[in-house]
Amino acid sequence: MASSPQNISAEPLEDPREIAKWANRYAKSRTIPFLVQWVFIVLLGVIIAGVVYLTLMAYRTEHLVWFLLCAAGIVGMVIALAWFTVPKWGGEQIYRISQWVYGEEGYAAYLGGDPEEGIQAPGWVYAGGAGLAVYHLLGALLVTARYLPIWCIQPFSAAYMVPFFFAMTVSQRLGFWAFIWPILYGLHAVLILAGVPIRFTSVHLELLNMIMPVFGYGLVAILVGHVYSRYALHKLKQLARKGLDAAVEEAHALEE
Amino acid sequence: MILSGIDVADFTFMCTTLGLTKGNLSSHMDRLEKAGYVEVHKSFNGKVPHTDYNLTKAGREKLAEYWTGLEAIRALKDKPQG
Repeated sequence: MASSPQNISAEPLEDPREIAKWANRYAKSRTIPFLVQWVFIVLLGVIIAGVVYLTLMAYRTEHLVWFLLCAAGIVGMVIALAWFTVPKWGGEQIYRISQWVYGEEGYAAYLGGDPEEGIQAPGWVYAGGAGLAVYHLLGALLVTARYLPIWCIQPFSAAYMVPFFFAMTVSQRLGFWAFIWPILYGLHAVLILAGVPIRFTSVHLELLNMIMPVFGYGLVAILVGHVYSRYALHKLKQLARKGLDAAVEEAHALEE
Repeated sequence: MILSGIDVADFTFMCTTLGLTKGNLSSHMDRLEKAGYVEVHKSFNGKVPHTDYNLTKAGREKLAEYWTGLEAIRALKDKPQG
């Protein structure tokens, strides 16, 4: 996964500050930890959906043992999901897997603050996260009570998610890739409101009208970030090595 | 310079990015740490030793000073003679 140090040109470095700029761009676009989370959540979601389906089948066919086993499976999966979302446990696993994927490339991070003072997300991020759950629960209730047509649920969701994720991206100083998700999600909502036929119309596939934009655009954003990080790392290596050569030359010139 | 654009980087990242040998990078970092410009955090990932670096406030200030000095030298160099 680590990029090779080949093709490093020997041209002089114009502004050494470019090194800091590209190091920052690289660190901000390391998206493998997000990809690890994405894969885990999607996998767990698929498994939970499968187990829920099997539980329903067992209930309908009155297989008590299978029903209990499947119900226990659902509880287990929910516990696994909860465990993964706790930073102390899940965060460490994400870090380990990411480090393994990045391999010999090593670790670099931009946390958007002073590491000597410690970095903490502002309070409104936590409040906004809790609000997100409440808002979507309200949306589900409105749909159930038929105050909101089901085709409106994605635009309803976008009305909260787009500004919240924009604010998060700016506040957490993430790379440009993090803007891709709210932009695509918002665009999707606008297209639905404009009547563009991009929805699954089958009742059985209704859930996909939320799942696909949430996870599909997420994957697009993560992959764009990863590709950009490859370019940024290549550029950084080029500049850093030119910078070292220039420093050696300057030192020789000063000695003379 | 790399550390001024990020908050933290480990030994492997610094080594592969700069193309320096392990010994060379260690000695550079030791000097920067002794000067108070870089903070070094040593830990273990299982049984594997792990070293993280970050620039200190003093290091950031010194680097800013260096940029100012460099700008001044460049301005002198670019100034038309006579």
